Amino acid sequence: MNLPDEISSYLKSVFEESRNPLCFLIDRDFALLDWWGFSEAYGYKNLQSGASILDHAPFLFGMLGSKTEVLPFVTTPTGGTVEVHILPHKRRFFVILLSATRDHDTHQQRQQTANELKLLHATQRQLITRQRTLIGELVEAKAELDHRRREAERSNANKNQFIAMMTHEFRTPLSSIINYADLALEADTSEADGRKSSEAIARASRHLLNLVETVLHEARLEAGHLKLRERSFNVQELLDDLSTILAPLAAEKGIAYATYLEDNVPAVLYADDVCLRQILINLLGNAIKFTETGGVSMEVAWSDSQLLIAVNDSGPGIDLADQERIFGAYQRAERADALSQPGSGLGLTITIELTRLMQGHFDLDSEPGRGCKASLRVPAKPSSMPSEDDVVLPAPAVELDAEGTATILLCDDDEDLIDLAEYYLQRAGYGLLVARDGEEAVEKALQYSPDLILMDINTPRLSGADAARQLREAGFSAPVVALTASDVRKLDQRDFTVSLRKPIQMPRLLAEIRRHLR
Amino acid sequence: MNQVNSKVCVVGDFAVGKTSTVERFVNNHFSDKYLTTIGVKVDTAEVDLTQDLKLKLILWDIAGTTEFKHVEMAYLRGMSGYILVADGTRLTTISAARELKTQIEATHGELPFVFLLNKSDLQHAWEVSDRQREKLVNEFSSELFVTSAKTGDHVAGAIARLAELIAERELFGPQ
Repeated sequence: MNLPDEISSYLKSVFEESRNPLCFLIDRDFALLDWWGFSEAYGYKNLQSGASILDHAPFLFGMLGSKTEVLPFVTTPTGGTVEVHILPHKRRFFVILLSATRDHDTHQQRQQTANELKLLHATQRQLITRQRTLIGELVEAKAELDHRRREAERSNANKNQFIAMMTHEFRTPLSSIINYADLALEADTSEADGRKSSEAIARASRHLLNLVETVLHEARLEAGHLKLRERSFNVQELLDDLSTILAPLAAEKGIAYATYLEDNVPAVLYADDVCLRQILINLLGNAIKFTETGGVSMEVAWSDSQLLIAVNDSGPGIDLADQERIFGAYQRAERADALSQPGSGLGLTITIELTRLMQGHFDLDSEPGRGCKASLRVPAKPSSMPSEDDVVLPAPAVELDAEGTATILLCDDDEDLIDLAEYYLQRAGYGLLVARDGEEAVEKALQYSPDLILMDINTPRLSGADAARQLREAGFSAPVVALTASDVRKLDQRDFTVSLRKPIQMPRLLAEIRRHLR
Repeated sequence: MNQVNSKVCVVGDFAVGKTSTVERFVNNHFSDKYLTTIGVKVDTAEVDLTQDLKLKLILWDIAGTTEFKHVEMAYLRGMSGYILVADGTRLTTISAARELKTQIEATHGELPFVFLLNKSDLQHAWEVSDRQREKLVNEFSSELFVTSAKTGDHVAGAIARLAELIAERELFGPQ
């Protein structure tokens, strides 16, 4: 069909109105040779023959070839969206631009919806994955919590069991103390019975103190607060102390107690003797506790800068399974005879921890029926003389004779302790002033200038530590001995001549007084 | 000053931030509104290579796709290099970028490119694990950039690196 002219003309006008055709003729170097059409519809206002078309249509760069190219939607910052046709023609190129904004917008709406849906699905998928991960983490966290709860319950049960055991352990010596004290107070008690009661009270008290020390020691070890404090000490004196404490226990059970010190062991060593003392008390105490016949012996040797100690006993021995179990806190060998023995169950745990702390080695060699050999190897350095900063010196044997005429100021709010000190200090020949709180102590010290002050730290109104500081600031220069139940290392050593841990045995206190008055 | 024209195509899956990256580089602007690109958006920017030479980049921001069809292949014609863009919050866009790179290499040979792992500002929503990122570093080495069109992080650095690679190729030919 041939279209009538008016129809062709109509179609042409419709096409031109909707598509704004623009045609460039360019050469291979993008030089504009000629143009036709609606240039202003694309923002092309100053087209010039010979100028580069790339300034107006940069999208043509790289696109000229031997074939016709059609680019449906090309959007530029100034020209909107165009459909580009590139037609090679006799080594030149016709470039036809047709407005495509309307089509572009329709396409974009459709595509936008589709893409947003896809994004939504992707987000949903991510959320589901995340939800699954979270549920997994939640399940894991719950399992972990359950595990911890069970562990806490187990630990709690162990501690409860331990507390029940300790309560029993404390009650035994406490009831001894109460009963013997009552006995001693009875009017018709003979002197011999009174002495026997006093001895029993002293023994029970020492046992009680040992229990408390053991529990505190473990608590400090568990909390990681215990640090090595190395100093010089006399080996023979340490062994003598141990004999003083432990030989009577062995004698009570009718078993032998012996110590062997080899000649090559240096007389004075540099190490943490407090730790070592605790270890040996535990080992020897255990050995005595479980040995019913025969005896307990300790051999001390020296090799390669190490102290080698073996504690042997002729007790029932420990099988391998029990040896494994023994290394856990609060657990003692599940033997009938072990359970029948008193003790906190912490001794060996503490021994092992302390040996580690001293960078030593601990070994147990035992079989049921063959006794037990506990071997200890700890590094130490030979030294020349014991340290002066001794805060836990062993109690020397002190004769309670009159020693001097010095005046001592005792600051303490415990009436029993005041009575006791009064008895011992006056018997030793000292004049005694008493203050019942820190303020009174400061007043009396400045008024009477005593030769030495025994200062309790936990006193009413003004603490012993503050009182000592005030006295030092006021120029008081005589020795001030701190008496405290807490850690003596927490005290300011500039204010105190020496710090002693309570409870203190009177002979030991007298020895300290004599040493500082000298 | 001498100027060299260079066509660079920006390709990647839909909504990975191609348009935003170009907009950040060319106009230092960012819009949070997502607007799908249809066909191609063409823009230009200049990068100074030396005191006497600058590269005019003709940036072809091509509509997001996971695979080039015939029309999109036409858009790639005459390019000197390309920018692959993936979205760190959608792991699938990384595979799409790899697929597009393979297609480009099959039709145009090895060309200078940079790989932009975009949306670093949304790290909390990233699907790309550290191990996968390590793998990408091994795969793309110095051509990998973790970018954010939103904050502009590393966008200019990545495109400057591509300009360098293109200039090296123009001056010294394919390595």
